[in-house]
Amino acid sequence: MTNLASIPLECGKTLDELSDYLAADRIPYDPHVETCPDCLNALTALARLAELSRDLISHDAEQLPPAPENWLRTILASIRDEIRAGRSLPIHHADPRARITVTEGAVRALIRSAGDDIDGLVIGKCEFVGDVEQPGAAVEVNVGASIAWGRPFAELYTPLRELIYDLLHRHTELNVTSVNVTIEDIHGFDPALSGHVPS
Amino acid sequence: MSESRPAPGGPLGTVADEILVERAVDGDLTAFEALVHRHGPLMRAYTSRIVGSQTEADDVVQEALTIAWRRLPSLREPSAVRAWLMRIASRQAFTHLGKRASDVPLAALDHALPADTQPENVAVRNAQLEALSVALDNLGTDLRRCWLLREVAGLSYDEIAGEMQLPASTVRGKLARARVSIYAQMEGWR
Repeated sequence: MTNLASIPLECGKTLDELSDYLAADRIPYDPHVETCPDCLNALTALARLAELSRDLISHDAEQLPPAPENWLRTILASIRDEIRAGRSLPIHHADPRARITVTEGAVRALIRSAGDDIDGLVIGKCEFVGDVEQPGAAVEVNVGASIAWGRPFAELYTPLRELIYDLLHRHTELNVTSVNVTIEDIHGFDPALSGHVPS
Repeated sequence: MSESRPAPGGPLGTVADEILVERAVDGDLTAFEALVHRHGPLMRAYTSRIVGSQTEADDVVQEALTIAWRRLPSLREPSAVRAWLMRIASRQAFTHLGKRASDVPLAALDHALPADTQPENVAVRNAQLEALSVALDNLGTDLRRCWLLREVAGLSYDEIAGEMQLPASTVRGKLARARVSIYAQMEGWR
């Protein structure tokens, strides 16, 4: 235990200096601090207090009464008006006076919804690279996804790509040159299924 | 989670922040709702300690989340969304405090510790948190805010100075005093 009377510490270092050193991830290495028992004690105590402060707020959060009934609804209502529609994809129509478009946002929602329906997949980002507003322009589709733990990617990759091609073909007139799927993360790790517990 | 509605079920509740952020950037409200369920309670708790009132904190966090939705496309590291949200909450808390006519003393506000954190009912760990809570309350408003901005939200000295509209040297001094005070008050717990 560090004695309160030793602020500044007996070795001459102050808590301020040690706190700065800690904030800099103990770089550059300070040979005095790293070998002085008083400094090391104080460093440990300071790190502990910082950690405890974060724990306190987490603890508050767990004990918090639920937000008022309409709290979340108010947030969602206020942002619903700011939906990101993105660019407009033209749809050809026999009547030249008719101008039909589908928004990028709507097509993304379609891909998310259909992709999520494939068991073991959750779609992340979905971007169209190319001039989607220009009929016939080459468009590349990049989709990110999270895969359920333990599911082989190869098993899900082909159905997802086919699904996306099919959706885009049916609902847009995009000239899709490629669909690239990137697995960005794995979700739902379950030690019971893995046969071993992570260390 | 202790929000008024159940957390979105299914895989959205289990995927990484990064995936939720990407979807929200693409306009998916459900993914944003999942982010609110995941990080909203921490934002509410933190902001409550800053502004000194849960009711006011809830209003502040509502504003912060609305702003967050708008700015999500500019978030460079989607995996760091929690820290980013805490910064927005910090900013909104101080905007709110600036609008408050005069700084109401903490005692006049409704900030109260939940009953079950009373030390007689709980284990050593909770007693330790309670001791820190008391130490923070003893700090006085400015010192406490400096400490929370630094240690909980992870703001730099310059960023704290910006939020609190104080010279960086003053912030440095306040943090030093906060540190010594908490260090001393927590001596029995170190």
